[in-house]
Amino acid sequence: MVTRFMVGSYKPQITARDREQLAVELGADTSVTDSTLTLTELRDTVGAETDPAFASMGKAIRADLRGQLDADRIQAGLSGLEAQLARASEVRAVGIPERFGPGDAGVQKLYRELIDPVWGTYDHLVDVGFFESLSDNLPAFTPEHIDRTARGLVTADLLTAGLVDCGFDERERTALMMDVVNNDTRLSRWVPTQDIPEGVEFDVDYVPPLYHRAIGGGLLWIKSLDRHLVQKRILLTEDILDDAFWRAKAILGGADSFLRAVNDVAADGSELTDEQLIAGVSGGAAIAIVNQEELMREAYWITEEKRAPSKAR
Amino acid sequence: MATGERDNEAVRAASETIVEETELGYQVFNAPDEPVLDQHDTDRIPRFDVTQEMLTEGGDDPTNWLMFGNNYEAHRHTTADVITKDNVDRLELEYEMEVGANSSMEGSPIIVPGDPPVMYQANGPSHVKAIDAREGEILWAYTYPAPEDAVLCCDDNNRGVAVWKDKVYMTSLDSGVQALDRYTGEEVWYVSTADYKEGYSATWAPIIYDGILFTGSAGGEYGVRGFHCAIDAETGEELWRLETCPEEEYVGDSIKQSGGTNWMTPTLDTERELLYFNVGNPSPDFNGTVRPGPNRNTCSTLCVDPRSGEILWAHQESAHDIWDYDSANMRMLIRDVEIDHLDYRGDIVYNAGKTSWTYTMDPDSGDLLIRGEPLTQQINFMRLVPHVEEEREYVMLPGLLGGVDWQPASYCPETGLCYHKVLNTPHSVKWQNEEYRPGEKFWGGVVDVEPDEEDIPEEYNGHISCIAAVDPTTGRVKWRDWIDSDRYLWGGTMSTATGLLFAGTQNGDLIAYDGETGDRLWEFDLSDKAIAGDPVSWYDPETEKQYVAIQIGGSGFVGRGPRGDRLAVFSLKK
Repeated sequence: MVTRFMVGSYKPQITARDREQLAVELGADTSVTDSTLTLTELRDTVGAETDPAFASMGKAIRADLRGQLDADRIQAGLSGLEAQLARASEVRAVGIPERFGPGDAGVQKLYRELIDPVWGTYDHLVDVGFFESLSDNLPAFTPEHIDRTARGLVTADLLTAGLVDCGFDERERTALMMDVVNNDTRLSRWVPTQDIPEGVEFDVDYVPPLYHRAIGGGLLWIKSLDRHLVQKRILLTEDILDDAFWRAKAILGGADSFLRAVNDVAADGSELTDEQLIAGVSGGAAIAIVNQEELMREAYWITEEKRAPSKAR
Repeated sequence: MATGERDNEAVRAASETIVEETELGYQVFNAPDEPVLDQHDTDRIPRFDVTQEMLTEGGDDPTNWLMFGNNYEAHRHTTADVITKDNVDRLELEYEMEVGANSSMEGSPIIVPGDPPVMYQANGPSHVKAIDAREGEILWAYTYPAPEDAVLCCDDNNRGVAVWKDKVYMTSLDSGVQALDRYTGEEVWYVSTADYKEGYSATWAPIIYDGILFTGSAGGEYGVRGFHCAIDAETGEELWRLETCPEEEYVGDSIKQSGGTNWMTPTLDTERELLYFNVGNPSPDFNGTVRPGPNRNTCSTLCVDPRSGEILWAHQESAHDIWDYDSANMRMLIRDVEIDHLDYRGDIVYNAGKTSWTYTMDPDSGDLLIRGEPLTQQINFMRLVPHVEEEREYVMLPGLLGGVDWQPASYCPETGLCYHKVLNTPHSVKWQNEEYRPGEKFWGGVVDVEPDEEDIPEEYNGHISCIAAVDPTTGRVKWRDWIDSDRYLWGGTMSTATGLLFAGTQNGDLIAYDGETGDRLWEFDLSDKAIAGDPVSWYDPETEKQYVAIQIGGSGFVGRGPRGDRLAVFSLKK
């Protein structure tokens, strides 16, 4: 499902039908739901269920990485990301970054500033093998895993409420939840490296772990946006700029949820349950995957139908 | 038929070399163990240096064709003006040659002026010869011993040589560069630029500027990491090397299979001293989930400082490409154009892509000034490829050969138009994760170049290819000549100062068009084989004739062949 947008606004549009579908997918008690249901209300009707499988995975990850994560570094990345997310709307207000010089170096940093704080944490996670640990302990994005992830996300107040602090309103947070719930087929294509059979068409040794691809890929798409928008200025419409901004923000929303869970591992289980930890990393990665693909489709693959009209023809 | 070719040992060595499609790709068999050089009347080659001045000004000199694109700007334009719209119907076949290999004949001969002019003609597998261009006689011929364990995605191509001072330079299928004495054909130096056992190869004509030879990389279908490098043309010493895809633009080890090879000749801006070159697709071709991100700088134009190899900008045509839309078309630099609707006055960098769009870029920034109207139909275009488990036939157009693939375009200052050979060919693609299929050259998916009739979208107009003229200042298609066949339209075009456009077709015809209108003014049926070669032209003051040369023969799987081994030279006297 592709999230729809209001014309002239970057905000994703959520219909009553979407909310109803979300409630059904999450197994909410639909007898008490209505079309204006908020995520908070949805959480209350879904109710927290104990999921032994998720809890086991969470324990395994904590055990794998105990003492290896630099809590200060992760907290710094998370805080920096949240500060950037809080001011993200300024980026949309600018629209297209300015060019102040020749070549790639002469492009204003707008989107790159949004992700600047994350790189240190990202590199640290790569260095300590965090992504490998997730791959070792978590299954593929099967419909069942996605379903459990969605339920875990909606019931983990820290994760959903955390996005409020970053400037995600109710509609945006609902859109992110729908990205997780409605995309199990798409997510299943991002197979874990260990599930790729030997002898397939590419060298499996060169395929990074699934969660590494999810988060790293999302960051790379945002990193490329400044130059992309400047170079393709003649093709751009306000709708494309809206789409680009929202998808970038959504990826960062996914990264925020992911890093909150990581932070909890670093802090050795201070706030999240083991189940919520898994929901955080899986949900954050799923959001990053779905939105980087949508960013690509909406803002990079600018077809004739989508482009701004040429003034030459 | 010209004399001398049948008893030439190097020609015979090339002829006896067999190139076959195997489960690994194309492979060379029965190549000679050692280089083979056969010399004849080498004293006939005039002894003088091909200077930098000749190279820089060669495009304006009607008596030569000194590099693949005829000038650094890659216009493939001759200032020779004997052949005109009024007399082109009197163009006659001067001579033909059997060049020595049943090969893909994708190249452009080089013409060094003199008395007589000397043609340096190359074809696969790694074979070059010096020919008296006036008489059509071989003066020396050289066959490089291509190794049998080299693997090639797309036939045994060799698209031509570079000349400088007293040497001629040829890339070789084992990813090497061979420098030969221009007068004798004797080896001067050889360098390997990469390990062919990893899948690297080399097929394009290099260029030389200020004593520096620029050469790229091929083998993207084998998952190699693309590079471009500069070599001292005198000694063979490598001066710098850049990897087209920066490590920081990839996730983890996906950089090691980044692809992004650079398998066609670069373009050089002598005023700015900048190189502009083509970059191929990421690897694996069709499954992007294992290499997330835009995969910069694949499917891009790369602008590079030729002294240092520093990348200054990259303009990407297909971000995170999953359709094999690599961008191989040689870039053109067109100076002093006016783009009225942008109020732009200045130089532009221009190319067409497999996407079927043309791209007009600012040479200093890489910013897109114009994206032209599509040269072909675009159906099911730029969509995520369905997963194989969904069992959906996904027929896309352009197919994986484009749009515009490597086929070198031409520019005519007189008409202000660029001329492209274009493929309007649907192909079907599926992802494939589950099994390995020996013999599939395009990785991460399954490609069917002949989709079932019922799967081809109804909107498809049924025309497999066309030759099209484009105004690079507006992106408008000025004219288009559909050419139908069961083969692909391969090879390049050439424009003339008299407003003609020459192009061979896959049906074996050489055509001269009115470059302004697209009217066919002259056609010559050369063969029942495809013409994958690129026309070149020169004027010989001694004979007062303008000549047009073209290589005849298709290109294996990719061009749907059949291959050939002929060179035809036409002429018209002033």
